[in-house]
Amino acid sequence: MAQSPRIRIDPASSVPAVRQIVDGLRVLLVEGGLGPGATLPSVRRVAVELGVHFNTVAEAYRQLAAEGWLNLQHGRGAVVVPRAVPAVAEGAGNEGFRNRLRGLVAQMRADGISVESIAGELRAMAKVVKRS
Amino acid sequence: MRLILCIIYVLMGALFYAYPNITRRELLFAVPVPPGFRESPAGRHAIRMFRLAIVAAVLAGACALLLAPAGLANAMAGAMPIAISLAGAVAFWRQNRALAASAQQYTRPREAEMTSTPERLPWYGWLAAGPFAILAAAATWLYLNWDRIPERFPVHFDVSGQANRWATRTIKGVYGPLFFGAELCAFTLIMAVAAWFGARRSRTRPVMLGGMIAAEYLLGLLFALITLQAPLGIPVWVIALAPVAILIPLIIVMVRKMTEPWEPMDPTPNECWKADIFYYNPNDAALFVEKRAGLGFTLNFANRWCWVLLLCLVLVVVSARFVVA
Repeated sequence: MAQSPRIRIDPASSVPAVRQIVDGLRVLLVEGGLGPGATLPSVRRVAVELGVHFNTVAEAYRQLAAEGWLNLQHGRGAVVVPRAVPAVAEGAGNEGFRNRLRGLVAQMRADGISVESIAGELRAMAKVVKRS
Repeated sequence: MRLILCIIYVLMGALFYAYPNITRRELLFAVPVPPGFRESPAGRHAIRMFRLAIVAAVLAGACALLLAPAGLANAMAGAMPIAISLAGAVAFWRQNRALAASAQQYTRPREAEMTSTPERLPWYGWLAAGPFAILAAAATWLYLNWDRIPERFPVHFDVSGQANRWATRTIKGVYGPLFFGAELCAFTLIMAVAAWFGARRSRTRPVMLGGMIAAEYLLGLLFALITLQAPLGIPVWVIALAPVAILIPLIIVMVRKMTEPWEPMDPTPNECWKADIFYYNPNDAALFVEKRAGLGFTLNFANRWCWVLLLCLVLVVVSARFVVA
């Protein structure tokens, strides 16, 4: 049986919880773990499970709604909506993402993760990206 | 009766004695400690000192209760559980302070399922209706056998088993304890439901719910026995021992279920625990979190619903004055 979509946050991380929730949800939305029409659980339930304040989850939902992923309607909860991919010229904006990726890799190495392990993670990630 | 009370209090002392084993392995006197700390000289010393205090209190209390002259026996019977509890609380606090320097912050990622499937109580949730049925059955029997109820019947007994408070055959006198029992059962049920929906999903959560339903049965049965005692001539010792007979197996089952190394401890921040007993974290939406002192769950005092539940408890306690004759 397929596992239900989940997000995970690390309370000990220096990354703010709202950012971790937005990133985790965006991964599910981009990779298809949450498709159009899917209803997200209530803010209260997610906040209880993750051990954060209600406002943190509400803010994460609002950010994703602003990006066009969610439709927030009072009484109906957060519903995933079809989102058109913005038209961007080939290569445009890559520089910023490349710098963030390099920064992330540097952080992983600084935290003691082996180069082989990082390379393996990146290869696995590339496969997922090609599939989607 | 003195001997029965003495046995009950010794069993209470035994529970305190076993306390260091009735917690998760990562906790000792509510302090999160490194794995294997219990087996270290410092851990063993803390447990030994705690148990010495409990044994001393129980022995002193038992001697006082058994040897006290008749005039002092009632006072001793009331003082003994208080003395054991006080000794336990002081010994706990001393060891808690002694181990505070060894505290470590446990941390692990938390997960949330992103499906909108509504959360429901487990199948055995309907069992919570049982205690109300027991109380209703007792009330029905009393209604049908009204003439068998004495005009004046005992409702409280002293240490020698002699009645020292009486009620008359009135609606309040007969049905009051049943109504109060129903109030207590309803409060326990509200707490159980609030704990189910207000706590994080974990394997200990269903155990906690089961334990609360069992506690509800204990209350229902106890108040039904108290009410039926006079017309059926139920011996007082049965009423005194019935809760013990339910509590001991319940505690054993819960300890076995909750101390199994199923999953790591809920990594609540150390700084949010006041005196390592009260959890106050305004940044945690959970209403109930896993306890540090003992097994089970406790309230997050930063959650406003916590105060609603506590108000309900106050109302139940205050209502006893008006409901019970």
